Amino acid sequence: MSAQQIATTENPFAGRSPGRRWISRGAMALCTFATAVALAVLFVVLAYIGIRGIEYMTPAFFTNLPLQSPEGMRNCIIGTVILVGLASVLGVPLGMLCGIYMAEYAGRGWFTYLTQLVMDLLAGTPTILLGVIAWQLVVVPMHQQSGWSGALALAFIMVPIVARASEEMLRLVPHPHREASAGLGASKSQTLFMVILPAAKAGIATGIMLAIARVAGETAPLLFTALGNDQAVYNPSEPYPSLTLKIWQYSQSAELAWRHQAWTAVLVLVAMVLVFTAAVRFAVRGRKVHVV
Amino acid sequence: MNDADNPSPLQNPFIDVPQNAARRLVDRITKAAALGGVLLTISILAIIFIVLIHGSWMALRQIGWHFFTTQAWNPVPGRDKYGVLSFLYGTGVTTFLALLFGVPLSIGTAVFITRIAPRWLAGPVSFLVELLAAIPSIAYGLWGCFVMSPWLQNYLEPVIYDALRHIAIIPVGKYPSGRIEYFPANLVRGGPSGSDFLAGGLILTIMILPIITAITRDVLQQFPAEIEQGAYGLGATWWQTTRLALAYCRAGIFGAIMLGMARAIGETMAVIMVIGNTDHISASLFAGGQTMSGVLANEFMEADHPIYLSAMFYVALVLMLSSLVTNVIARGLLAKIQTERKAA
Repeated sequence: MSAQQIATTENPFAGRSPGRRWISRGAMALCTFATAVALAVLFVVLAYIGIRGIEYMTPAFFTNLPLQSPEGMRNCIIGTVILVGLASVLGVPLGMLCGIYMAEYAGRGWFTYLTQLVMDLLAGTPTILLGVIAWQLVVVPMHQQSGWSGALALAFIMVPIVARASEEMLRLVPHPHREASAGLGASKSQTLFMVILPAAKAGIATGIMLAIARVAGETAPLLFTALGNDQAVYNPSEPYPSLTLKIWQYSQSAELAWRHQAWTAVLVLVAMVLVFTAAVRFAVRGRKVHVV
Repeated sequence: MNDADNPSPLQNPFIDVPQNAARRLVDRITKAAALGGVLLTISILAIIFIVLIHGSWMALRQIGWHFFTTQAWNPVPGRDKYGVLSFLYGTGVTTFLALLFGVPLSIGTAVFITRIAPRWLAGPVSFLVELLAAIPSIAYGLWGCFVMSPWLQNYLEPVIYDALRHIAIIPVGKYPSGRIEYFPANLVRGGPSGSDFLAGGLILTIMILPIITAITRDVLQQFPAEIEQGAYGLGATWWQTTRLALAYCRAGIFGAIMLGMARAIGETMAVIMVIGNTDHISASLFAGGQTMSGVLANEFMEADHPIYLSAMFYVALVLMLSSLVTNVIARGLLAKIQTERKAA
C-alpha cells in the first residue's frame, strides 16, 4: 500500500469490508494496551526497587565499608562518583572535539561519512567488549586491575554520546550568528569560542550529563577493569570500588544480608541516575536530544 | 556536514588584508585539535578490532571454523574444547524472543504516542518510556533475578507448561534418549525453572522497548499530513490510515528494530542474572542457556591458560561482528530518513 495507489481512480478504502470500523477500534485498543503494558513494567520495576531498597536501607549503608559491621557501601558510592569523574575527564573533551569537527569543519566527502559511521558503531559496540579492550590496553601492561582501566572503558562509552549531542547542539546555533561574527572581523576560532560554543553550552551540558548518567550505571565494562574493592581505596592505580560491581557481587551471593544490601544499592544507583536524567530531560523538554 | 544547513561557508568578506599571524595560528590549532579528536576516535574503533583479532589469533589458527560447529565448551586443560555454537544459540534465541515480544509492544506504544494520545498525554508517556532506557541494566538484572524469575517459575511457566506439555503435533527430531521430539511440547520440556531462555528474552524485551519506541515515534511523526488527510478524505478508518503510515515509514521502523536487536545482542548483565548460565542448546524455552556476552562476563577473568583466553577473545570477536553487522544495517536504514528530516 503506497502513495501511488491512493492516486488511482478507485477508492481503496470505502466500503471494502463492513467490519473495518470494528477492526480499527480493536487496533486502537491494542495500541493503547501495549502502552499500558510498557508503563506497567516501568511502574512495577521502579516500585520493587523503591520498596525493597527503602525497606533494607540503614544509615550504615552510607557511612560504613563493606567489611565493617554493620556493613555499608560508602566506598562504593564514592568510587563510582570518582570513576565517572575520571571517565568524563577523558571522554568529554574527546567527544566535544569530535562534535565540533562534525558540526563546524566537516565537509561532505567520504571522511565525514566515515566519521559518522565510526561514531554510530562505537555507540553500538557492546559495552562488555570495551571492558575487554581496556583490560588489554591497561590491565595487562600494569599487571593489575585499576581505576584507570575502568575509567578508560567508561570513557569509550561517553565519547560517541557526547560527540553526537555536541554536534546536534552546535548545528542548532543559527547560521546568521556565524555570519554576523565573521562580519565583525572574528576569525573562525574566535567565532567558535566566543559565539557558537556559548550559544550551545546549555545543550552540550545536557548531552554530557546524560552521558554521565549512562555510564554511572554501567557494570559490564568494569568487571575486568575496575574489579571492585572492599576498602576505602581511591587511588586509581589500584582495584577500584564501584556501586554497580558491588551490586553484581552481592546479587550472586547466598547471604541474605548481602542481597538486601544489593537492593538498597540499586535504589541509590537508580535514584542517582533517574533524578539526573529526569532533571535534564525536564530542563530541555521540547528540544531534541537523542540519547537512545 | 550537511551543506543544506550551512548554505554559505564561513568567510570573512570584509577583512581581506593580511591577518594577524597569531590569529591564523589559533585557527589552525583549533581545527587540527578537532581533527585530531576525530582521528583518535576513529582509531579507537580500529584498536578494538586490532586487540580482538590479536587476542584471538591463536584460537583463530587452532580452532578456526570449527568454533562455529562445536557445541562443547570445556576449558579443562588437556581435554579442552571450545565452541561458540551454544552461546550464539543463546544470544540468538534471547534476541529473537525479545524482538517477538518487544516489537509489537514498541510499535503499539509509538503509534499510541503519535496517533492516539492527546497532546497532554503524549509528552508524559514518551518521557516515561524513555525513563525505562535510563534504568541501568544491573537494576533490571536484580529485579529479574529476585522478582521476575521466581514469578515466572511459580506462576507463568506452570500455566504454559500445563497448556503445552502434551500437545505433540510436528515431530522435529529425536532426543538422545531415543524419544521423539515433538513441537510444541519440546518448547516446555524440563518444566518451569525461572532461569531460562524465556526469562532472558523477557528481560531483554524490557530493555529494547524504549529504543524501538523512541525511534519509531520519531519516524512516524514524519508521515506527511497530506497523505493522512487524503486517506481520511477517501473514507479510510483510523487503522487503515495507520497502516499507511506504518508502510510509509517501514524503512525507519526496520532501522529502529535493528537498533533494538543490536542492543539485545550486546546486553550483558541483565541477561546473565536470569538465563541460568549453562552451555546447553535446547529447543525448550524453560532450559538454561548462555549468551556470548554472558560467557565473557562470567569466564573472561578465569581464562588462565593461553588457548582459553584466546577462545574468549574469539567469542568477543564474534560478538563484535554480530553487533557490527546489525548496527550497520540499522544505520543504513535510518540514514536515509535522517537526511530527509534534515532537508525538511
